Amino acid sequence: MMLVTAVIKPFKLDAVKEALEAAGAKGLTVTEAQGFGRQKGHTEVYRGAEYQVAFTPKIKVEVLVDEAAVSGVLDAISKAARTEKIGDGKIWVTPVDTVVRIRTGETGPDAI
Amino acid sequence: MSLLMTMTHAVSMATASTGDCVKNAVYNQGVATPVAQTCSDANYIDTGDTAWQLTAATFVGLMSLPGLAVLYAGLVPKRWAVNTMFMAFTGFSTVLVVWVMWGYKMGFGTPIGSGGAHTWTNTYAGNGGGFVGFIKDFFENFVGHPQSINAGHAQMGQATLYANGGAFVPLQMPSSALAYFQFVFAGITPLLFLGSVLGRIKPLAWIIFVPAWCTFVYTVNAMLVWGGGYWAHEGVLDYSGGYVIHLAAGVSGFVAAWVIGPRLARDRAKWVPHSLTMVSVGAGIVWLGWNGFNGGDPYFASSDAAAAIINTNAAAAAALLTWVVLDMVLSRQKKPTFLGGINGMICGLVGITPCAGYVSGSSALWIGIIDCTVVWFAWSYLMPITMKYVDDASGVAYTHGLAGLTGGLLVGVFVDPSMVIYHSVGGSPITFKGVLYGHNAKQLLIQFLAALTIIIYDAIGTFIILKIVGLITGGLRLPDEVLELGDIGIHDEEAYPADEGFTRVDSMGAFAQAGLTGAGAGTTTATISSTSPTSTTETAGDLR
Repeated sequence: MMLVTAVIKPFKLDAVKEALEAAGAKGLTVTEAQGFGRQKGHTEVYRGAEYQVAFTPKIKVEVLVDEAAVSGVLDAISKAARTEKIGDGKIWVTPVDTVVRIRTGETGPDAI
Repeated sequence: MSLLMTMTHAVSMATASTGDCVKNAVYNQGVATPVAQTCSDANYIDTGDTAWQLTAATFVGLMSLPGLAVLYAGLVPKRWAVNTMFMAFTGFSTVLVVWVMWGYKMGFGTPIGSGGAHTWTNTYAGNGGGFVGFIKDFFENFVGHPQSINAGHAQMGQATLYANGGAFVPLQMPSSALAYFQFVFAGITPLLFLGSVLGRIKPLAWIIFVPAWCTFVYTVNAMLVWGGGYWAHEGVLDYSGGYVIHLAAGVSGFVAAWVIGPRLARDRAKWVPHSLTMVSVGAGIVWLGWNGFNGGDPYFASSDAAAAIINTNAAAAAALLTWVVLDMVLSRQKKPTFLGGINGMICGLVGITPCAGYVSGSSALWIGIIDCTVVWFAWSYLMPITMKYVDDASGVAYTHGLAGLTGGLLVGVFVDPSMVIYHSVGGSPITFKGVLYGHNAKQLLIQFLAALTIIIYDAIGTFIILKIVGLITGGLRLPDEVLELGDIGIHDEEAYPADEGFTRVDSMGAFAQAGLTGAGAGTTTATISSTSPTSTTETAGDLR
């Protein structure tokens, strides 16, 4: 089992969700996030006081998938989230040791 | 208010102290004392009338700021809140400047032509009759001479207006009170149609468009219906602006949304209100502010003002409940919604606006119910179709345009002869009769034709002005990449800045980080190391 984590532009969430469903993902978790990468922050000005704002609002999407589905999911996310401009985000994959479905107590791939 | 009234110039100081100038203080008892001429000193003032007019005007102003500003800000997604409030405050400001410099007199001064009182049922005697006579008469009573009201003597002078047929009613307040009252009406109208063009228009285009619209469109509406222009002479009834304000805002907003083009596709697909709490604050201010809107329009602290206020609230309440019930019975989800109730409230307030002091209390309840029902069905079944072609973001064409039109037509039905609008000099009551009270349908026809005039003129006027403004500002829309960002892209501000991640970068920032110097200041600010990211962030946060 693998955890696919993607940080994307907020307005791409709907497109990514649809692409993931089409790619067979059974569910996903969404978190509002902030951060920076190559797309540095931006400037804001309040009453003449200028601030460099380090972090840009992003959405973090997490999906649990079977190993076999990983490449399809990666493909779906990157196609849906891509604007070809700086700040499109990143995807990474981490192995997952245990998964439990709370309602039924199922474990492993059955719980995904 | 229409009532065949129009404003005359403030009387010059030269007429002071002739002895004929009788204070008209018994007006509230229902009989106006005849005055041989208007007064030019403070003798004319009735403190009750003046105090109420200024209070009512302030209430109406509060409907705009902060009422509509926060109501609309709450209705838009988070990243558009600042821009929405910015547009409200700048729009209001541009209108005020125009108003005192030339706008007020264009709406409420002397008509550019003769200012005669020819009616369309006679032969337009003043202009030779026939179609040519009609056209000439119409345009001579179309708009007033532009003129400033900033001179000291103009501000001190008595507000005056005259009714057709010699029923001169002396006002008991200074001209500045009436000019400010009329300003807040002029000011709220562009803020209403702001709801149509949210989420796309360039700030500079807005700042040029609004005063131009006020100059060329609003003043004409006001003159035609209220200021003694053509439809005022014909006897159109628009108590507080069902046509001049709301129909005008609905039509102009709809056309503006079409000319400027739609929001981003993603904003059209998903435009979730970011704060219903904020909507609640704004909507409450708008409702109670309407007491000044309709209650101030008799221009007297009179029994008709009181009736207008209670009718306004009755219609709002009935309409709010009507929308909630319709939602529960007919909507797909069969659930009552808060924002639905607010929509209903607005429909009721708009619908009663042209009727407020003309109709009885029971008619007010009916007007609220009917107006809300008409708009509810249009909102549910017609708007999904029009939205495909014109992106009227907040549905202003429905909650204001259609609601105002419906109310304006309902006046012709419900206007009640026992509602004494005011007394003419000598004490005879001035009243009107609607279809329901045995009058023929002529009033209804006049209401319809006046509405048609406003719809056509405002649509064409808005279209032409926006096309010209677009040439000046190089397009009316912001580029898509700015629209993606919203407030941060347009203003470098956001409605709810995060607590973390802000580092001050202007010269004051370095000064603050180095610690304040000078007497008594050295101990108040901790000096921090700029090499530590954590403490830099915290300090920037603290000082912000």
